[in-house]
Amino acid sequence: MTNETSIEETMTRDTERAKVSLPEHADLPIPVAEGGGVIETRQMSVYYGDFRAVAEVSLNFAPNQITALIGPSGCGKSTVLRSLNRMNDLIPTARTEGEVLYHGQNIYEDHIDPVEVRRTIGMVFQKPNPFPKSIFDNIAWGAKINDFKGTKSDLDDLVQEALEDAALWDEVKDKLSESGYSLSGGQQQRLCIARAIATKPDVILMDEPCSSLDPIATLRIEELMLELKENYSIIIVTHNMQQAARVSDKTAFFNVKLNEKGMRTGRLVEFSPTDQLFTSPTEKDTEDYITGRFG
Amino acid sequence: MSVSAPERTVREYFPTEAEYQGLLDRRSRRARLFQLACLLALMIAVVALATLLYTIVNDSFGLVAVVNERDPEAIVADLGYDPAAVDLVDLEYDELVGLLETAVGSGVGRRLEREQRFYEDRLVFESDEVWAEICSSEAPPTGCTAGPRDHSNVHALVLERVVVQDVIAAYDLVPSLFNPDGFDEEIAAGFETSRFGEYTPDQASVEWRAWFNVGFLRSPQSATPEVAGIRTAILGSAWLVLITVVFAVPVGVGAAIYLVEYAKATRLNSFIQTNINNLAGVPSIIYGMLGLAVLVRIFEPFTSGAIFTTGVPPAENGRTVLSAGLTLGLLALPVVIISAQEALRAVPDSLRHAGLALGATRWQTVRSQILPVALPGILTGTILAMARAIGETAPLILVGAASFITSDPTGPFSKFTALPIQIFQWTSFPQIEFQKLAAAASIALLLLLLTLNAAAVILRNKYSRRA
Repeated sequence: MTNETSIEETMTRDTERAKVSLPEHADLPIPVAEGGGVIETRQMSVYYGDFRAVAEVSLNFAPNQITALIGPSGCGKSTVLRSLNRMNDLIPTARTEGEVLYHGQNIYEDHIDPVEVRRTIGMVFQKPNPFPKSIFDNIAWGAKINDFKGTKSDLDDLVQEALEDAALWDEVKDKLSESGYSLSGGQQQRLCIARAIATKPDVILMDEPCSSLDPIATLRIEELMLELKENYSIIIVTHNMQQAARVSDKTAFFNVKLNEKGMRTGRLVEFSPTDQLFTSPTEKDTEDYITGRFG
Repeated sequence: MSVSAPERTVREYFPTEAEYQGLLDRRSRRARLFQLACLLALMIAVVALATLLYTIVNDSFGLVAVVNERDPEAIVADLGYDPAAVDLVDLEYDELVGLLETAVGSGVGRRLEREQRFYEDRLVFESDEVWAEICSSEAPPTGCTAGPRDHSNVHALVLERVVVQDVIAAYDLVPSLFNPDGFDEEIAAGFETSRFGEYTPDQASVEWRAWFNVGFLRSPQSATPEVAGIRTAILGSAWLVLITVVFAVPVGVGAAIYLVEYAKATRLNSFIQTNINNLAGVPSIIYGMLGLAVLVRIFEPFTSGAIFTTGVPPAENGRTVLSAGLTLGLLALPVVIISAQEALRAVPDSLRHAGLALGATRWQTVRSQILPVALPGILTGTILAMARAIGETAPLILVGAASFITSDPTGPFSKFTALPIQIFQWTSFPQIEFQKLAAAASIALLLLLLTLNAAAVILRNKYSRRA
């Protein structure tokens, strides 16, 4: 696909996405949440057993924006990210309190199937994790398991479109049947991004997507994120403050706080537009962190 | 001293240069000693295996001294053929049956016919009235239901009943090769001490015999060692493996998938896990008792096939190949579960997360992403478990493998014998021929195991490459 995506094309794709996304669920109201957020957390706390990893996080993620979550190790930013599409459910002792609203619908309500949530809120992981299958199958599988109804050629189109959107098509178009493992680390990560967008999600969560990549591959992923935000809302966890400054529209800074009993709990310290957070932070902790005084 | 650093102050808890050299020598000696010890351990293992193979092969081939009651060549000549061109085995089925008819008494003939009939449409030794009567009796013989004998079967009967070959002495492979004269002396000494009964030295002829040969693999079991084979046992073992696989693999892999992919870390689940690990170490005879008590006795209507047939109940009670296969399946089950669990646990979590994050259900992730990656490991573990099951003897004896059976198993509800049972039984006979047969059957069993292990390797490589 060319770099200039016409408005028409974008709109068509948006309509398609709207057709297949969550709101089909009878119980899910379509109206956007207060404050215009795609995802909103209200007083969300995550526990691992008795240990409270993050406490009372209230965030509002805007559509078609990149939101960065930054903070020192152990501040719970990855935990927050994983609780946004219920991937934390996979950790046996994990428990989430408070509300996580997706278009106003609390995704932790009993009647919500996490499978449905994860399909709409996709995820890209820290280490590239392609399936041990061909490049084509890596992308087509997501469609197949989500009851893809199209023909074989529709599937070909879908794979091509996803690879183009992930800026990988030109590099792999001649070797779609080769194993996903045959690609370089940066290509593998873009394959994972292509895989995530092939199921037409609404939001993409990225958990330190560049931490295992070299600077050039990192740059390509960052460029890709800026392109993708036209169509998707992106939430990214990163250790790299420059990366947050480069790509994100808003940044949330988390820090570790010791409570009365000496337990370390992550808390949201500051959440503001990225320019503002990096130039004139309101909190002392934020300033200390971004100027490199700790963390 | 070959390498030395310039003088410098070293901290006192290191040895001096001179001490260090001595200590280094001691360390090197110790290193060599342990290397040698490990090499020795390897040698012991290799020698043990080599001895095993040597014994088996040595016993399976060699010179024999035979006495034929009727010479096969004379029999062929009597029928009007040229003995130089036609062998006994080349004769027509009808001619072989004819030879039997003239040679054996009617009592033996009727017994043979009741065991398995000669023709589908007519009887040779029995009369039609008697046959109809015994077949409608309470416990009809196998001949009433089984199909007719085939050529190789009747040929074996002719050898056994008409030619009546008797191996009076047998020599091992190695002495046969290097000291064949010793065998002649041994036979001569045997005749002097009249060890061979009424036979005279000119009746005996010395010939080569490979006890492990095609005929041996293809002939059914027989009380006459000269014609006995292991076809019945091989087919029995094949049925056992089939039933074991069909039972143990789906159940074992399913249980492993549940334990690894679905089960939460509750007390009950860790209790179950511990017990599966313990079950893998339970002696096989215990499984035999379980099989006898539950499968043979309690589930007799099922394992004997009675609930699947109407009318005449099958002659076999619960001591069928199905009972034995299920018993071996239970025996292999813990091993299959454990190896499948290991294989599933070796699949990185990143694949599970990748699948689930795309909106796949757990089963879709397991089915399409986890199982294909774990498959080589599961296959290897499974085939090794099957190899263990094939060699099991004790549980089969308890479950009731037939000690003497000449008819092939025809289905899951047949009586059966198996290779290890056959070997065990033959080794307990005093005649030297049976010892030879046991050795030859051991070769067959080892080859079967080797084939299974090779299959494991090939399958593993095939599926590993696909990833």
